[in-house]
Amino acid sequence: MIMSQFCPRCAEPAATADQFCEGCGAALRVNRSGTVAAAAAGTQRPCHGCGQPFATQGRLDGEYCPCCGLHRRDGTDHIEIDLGALAGVSDRGHVHVRNEDAMALGQRVAGKPATLAAVVCDGVSTVHTPELASRAAAEIALDILLEADNAPEHTAEDRAHAAVAAADRTVARLPAPGRRGAPCCTLVSALVNWPEPGRPEITVAWVGDSRAYWLAGTEAEPARLLTRDHSWAAEMVTAGVLDTATAMADARAHAITQWVGAGSAGEPGVLTLRPAGSGALMLCSDGLWNYLPGSAELAAVALPMIEHGTGALKAAAALTAVALERGGRDNITVVVIPITVRSPS
Amino acid sequence: MTEARGFTIDIDQNSYLPVSGSQVDAIVTVTMTEATDAAPPTDNALEIIIVDCSTSMSGDKIVSARRATEAAIAELREGVSFTVIAGTETAEQVYPSLSASAMASARTRAEATAQVQRLQADGGTGIGAWLRLAAHIADQHPGAVNHAILLTDGQNGEHPSQFAAALQDCVGKFTCDCRGVGTDWEVQELRAISSTLLGSVDIVADPADLAADFRAIMGTAMGKRLSDVALRLWTPPDATVQFVKQVAPTVEDLTSRRIESGKRTGDYPLGSWGAETRDYHIKVHLTPRHVGEKILAARVKLIQTGSDEELAQGLITATWTDDSALSTRISRGVAHYTGQVELATAIQDGLTARKAGDQATATARLGRAVALAAASGNDASAQLLERVVEVIDAPSGTVRLRAEVTAADEMTLDTRSTKTVRVRGGS
Repeated sequence: MIMSQFCPRCAEPAATADQFCEGCGAALRVNRSGTVAAAAAGTQRPCHGCGQPFATQGRLDGEYCPCCGLHRRDGTDHIEIDLGALAGVSDRGHVHVRNEDAMALGQRVAGKPATLAAVVCDGVSTVHTPELASRAAAEIALDILLEADNAPEHTAEDRAHAAVAAADRTVARLPAPGRRGAPCCTLVSALVNWPEPGRPEITVAWVGDSRAYWLAGTEAEPARLLTRDHSWAAEMVTAGVLDTATAMADARAHAITQWVGAGSAGEPGVLTLRPAGSGALMLCSDGLWNYLPGSAELAAVALPMIEHGTGALKAAAALTAVALERGGRDNITVVVIPITVRSPS
Repeated sequence: MTEARGFTIDIDQNSYLPVSGSQVDAIVTVTMTEATDAAPPTDNALEIIIVDCSTSMSGDKIVSARRATEAAIAELREGVSFTVIAGTETAEQVYPSLSASAMASARTRAEATAQVQRLQADGGTGIGAWLRLAAHIADQHPGAVNHAILLTDGQNGEHPSQFAAALQDCVGKFTCDCRGVGTDWEVQELRAISSTLLGSVDIVADPADLAADFRAIMGTAMGKRLSDVALRLWTPPDATVQFVKQVAPTVEDLTSRRIESGKRTGDYPLGSWGAETRDYHIKVHLTPRHVGEKILAARVKLIQTGSDEELAQGLITATWTDDSALSTRISRGVAHYTGQVELATAIQDGLTARKAGDQATATARLGRAVALAAASGNDASAQLLERVVEVIDAPSGTVRLRAEVTAADEMTLDTRSTKTVRVRGGS
């Protein structure tokens, strides 16, 4: 089954029999979308200020409207992607000029229940072209997570490691001219496999301070933060030097200690969760968790939207709305994957 | 930054504006590099040497003027067109005798030198008439690098309106470097010419220094490669250009020279250009937008007049932010040149007050100038100021007016008040 006449990643036309996209090599037997697809479509939009059609690509000042001078929006200001079994929302927020977060999410078309995967990346805003780093990292990591498995001895954790490594290499190859630092970003990914129906196995990997939460209303598998930030604040707290409140109030709190891209060091965090009860897996950038760090609060917003494995988009949108209401000072990206667990009885 | 045909444009600005902020300041640095293939030193150039031969030039001055003119002629590159004009209340072409130009060669240089040696000081001063003859000859060299040296020692005898009309008629025909010899000429008068005709002005207090000065002017003139370049500025619909000032090597306000060249686009003529760097301060007023919006506040292009050919381009942008750490930063270049422009104004105000006998204002303004010169490392201005005021404490600008100041020192300070220095430690 092919989902569209066009590659969902780069919009290249595709024949129904194609396994891979002629344009970008993406696996077409995968239903996927993300920030890159939204940006590719968004460049065709007219200027949000004066309505002038976009026609000056390739020029030095092509990112500005030739009529009114406004910086062009590339279609990533607000993205909603609903693949049914999982959904994501990414928003520029109220303050930043562009959305430097990126998400990529998809499901393998073969298999039932389908293998699901999602990646959220947050470009480090002080470097050169952070939005290109986050987009490239999210896309390549999703490629690896969803690629058809030719080596069955590889575990899901191996695959998660491979996805981060590929993202690292891809971002390190991005051009880094000028005085600003080389492009880099955070990454959090999730891979949901079903070793047996109703018994999901969730593999999470992360680098930096983008997070994965398990959201649930029951004690069978309690709601909690799954990841541990690679950030100055988190390291101070872990080392017992500062308490959480003091550490987070410091100007260096958000400085990340590990990243994806040139000069990265250290291993990504990787963990596997086999939930004993139903709930939802949520990936987000710090644009959300800065406002809503607690898993109970997050669950209270998201879970009412989810019923019988649906409502992922509504849940992601509700979480994003909270961050926007509370200030929206950063880019906000949220991916929600409802997980239904059948009790073993 | 972009580079095309040997030109570069660099923009120094803080593009972040506070909430409701509307002012964008940027320093635009335009450079033509030495290793350019833009245009080889051209033979398509005209040099006009205008020598004051009024009665006041008698004695040392006319002797030095003859020697200086000979030195300038000797510097002419082979094949460059030239002419020598003797100025009294009228203008007389000394060489060649027809109202045309000669082409520099061993023979024409010798002929011209022989004619120059016969120059006599006898007559009045009609600078407008000199400029008109120069313009007439320049008209025969359209598109060439047309340049004049104008030497005088006295005040113009023409009616101001007559002079102003003649000066306006020369705009775009040639650039003009003016030199005042001695101390009986009027700084304002020569500055009006050099400013309007995109050239320099300076004092040569001692006639003996004239030859070296003319040689230097001619050396610079021979290095010019492009005759007519202009800054082309595009601004968005709701923007106003508040000013366009050249801030290095000298201060020159170009705002009123704008020539509309298209929708929301205006050209500011810059004259001829050699291997050199000039800095411009551009200030644009914008309608404030929401936090997180980014806009192109101005697109700056360097063009060759008449061809629309783009030699280089730079972008001035504005981004509204509520992060005051970003919006309160002032670009080093903007801060520096704002100080340099204030320095020039303080010197001129101080000298005007001093002449008018207003000691308090003169002390305050020249004191401010001393402080600005010291803070910015403008040593040349600092040294010239010290001949007019006694500096008690430079950083605070505490000074005392000197009782005895020579006319030459005062005029030198006035004439060179617009000379700026570039930002220390590179940009």
